[in-house]
Amino acid sequence: MSIEPSNECMTVAQVEVLLRDGLSCQSESDTPAKFKVSDRVRAKVMHPQTYTRLPRYARGKMGTVMRDHGVYVFPDTVGQRLDTKPQHVYSIRFAASELWGANTPTNDFLFLDLFDDHLEPI
Amino acid sequence: MNGPHDMGGMHNMGSIPIEEHEPVFHSEWEAKVFAISFATFANYFPVDETRQASELMPPGQYLSSRYYERWLYALELLMTKHNLVTQAEIEDRIAQMAQTDP
Repeated sequence: MSIEPSNECMTVAQVEVLLRDGLSCQSESDTPAKFKVSDRVRAKVMHPQTYTRLPRYARGKMGTVMRDHGVYVFPDTVGQRLDTKPQHVYSIRFAASELWGANTPTNDFLFLDLFDDHLEPI
Repeated sequence: MNGPHDMGGMHNMGSIPIEEHEPVFHSEWEAKVFAISFATFANYFPVDETRQASELMPPGQYLSSRYYERWLYALELLMTKHNLVTQAEIEDRIAQMAQTDP
């Protein structure tokens, strides 16, 4: 079942499917990926007054694309009932030292799932 | 929005309490909030709109509220915003219940 804020009541059968299978936010759009695995990227510096899934501590930080999860609807716009804006989601690896400074174990990394619109090329 | 939900890297918030036999719901009202919220997901409000609504809770209130209190805040905010019920109707019902169920 895909996300469509329709304002129409679901049937009992639809509710049962939703409870059993959950909700898929994956999109069938063929939107091209802006990045590929092993690309270095920077999380954008932004402070929108509206909804975003990009955490503050990652903004402006550099990381590496480890995996392309495929195309999903964009929560930052769906949360405002705007365009679903389907785009690629990637697992981005950030070194702990990049996020928290020099006083961190060198082998610690943090992985964030971020969207095309959260990222810029370096 | 730079709200109270975005807590990564904050200090002095205390440890995360881990209950040994954690129940799904700690009281009946939590189950009701969950059920009503779920009835609105996909039907009226996308999950992300619900998340955004709970993040609009004033920061002091957000940080001192229980998990399902935040859900309830989001639910009431969206139900009134989208004209499914009015704030006056919610308050009338609260007053009514306070009288019949002291």
